[in-house]
Amino acid sequence: MTKVLLADDSSTMRKIILRSLNAVGYSDVTEAADGEEALQVFGQEQFDLVLTDWNMPKKTGLELIRDIRQSNTTVPIIMITTEAEKTRVLEAVQAGVSDYLVKPFDAETLRAKLEKQGC
Amino acid sequence: MRVEFVNPFIKSLANTFEVMLHQKVTRGDLELKSNFCPLHPVSGIIGLSGKATGTVVLSLSEIVALKAASTMLMTELSVIDDDVTDAVGELVNMVTGGAKAELEAYNLSISLPGVVTGKNHSVNFPSKVTPICVPFSTDWGPLALEVGLITSSEIPAASSDTTQQPQEVSS
Repeated sequence: MTKVLLADDSSTMRKIILRSLNAVGYSDVTEAADGEEALQVFGQEQFDLVLTDWNMPKKTGLELIRDIRQSNTTVPIIMITTEAEKTRVLEAVQAGVSDYLVKPFDAETLRAKLEKQGC
Repeated sequence: MRVEFVNPFIKSLANTFEVMLHQKVTRGDLELKSNFCPLHPVSGIIGLSGKATGTVVLSLSEIVALKAASTMLMTELSVIDDDVTDAVGELVNMVTGGAKAELEAYNLSISLPGVVTGKNHSVNFPSKVTPICVPFSTDWGPLALEVGLITSSEIPAASSDTTQQPQEVSS
């Protein structure tokens, strides 16, 4: 079973993503309310996939990706965000993101992104 | 206000409703706002700052707010509670985020969304801006988008008051 770490500071957005994940068959999901918490949890457990928002308090999604990539270059990381400008996408790619999903999205698009990562 | 500012928001709203809520929206005629009372009782509000400054309001009828939140959270909601207002906040965030990408040249930052509910509430826009209201209809009921933006060069000195102080955060 794919073990997913989901980082988003909005509890509503976490709920929306979590229910979308559940709807397409991903049920082992650990939630984090900011980048710092996500990095801490990531250091304690083994995850197959990280889903992260961009703008979060304490540590942004971009900083989280950079920190994870220092020790783990293989775990798929997908950024789920409203930041759709090309410059922002490029910034995320340079930080080491595996894929990028712009909100709004539907569950099937999320599933396609996950499957593309082999999850 | 420049009409060119409104189209990205209209496009983004239609896309957000179609992708997130599986609802087609039908646009009504643009209107210039003569007062600051949104058309409907549930308002998702976001402040914008950068090379343009202003406010965006997603104004929803109660039924649209409830149906939208129920669809997003995949659960049946029948009263306007925190789940509904949080979902409306996420919706206005997505609508504004999509438009911001099209207005990249203005280097916009968006505030955290706020949500106000109740009949006859008002939302302030920057002074010297006449907001544009775009009504929409859906199978669920009516909604509206209200956009009031002014470029930095058009802002008179010390008169850019808005309802929210835009903070450089949003998701």
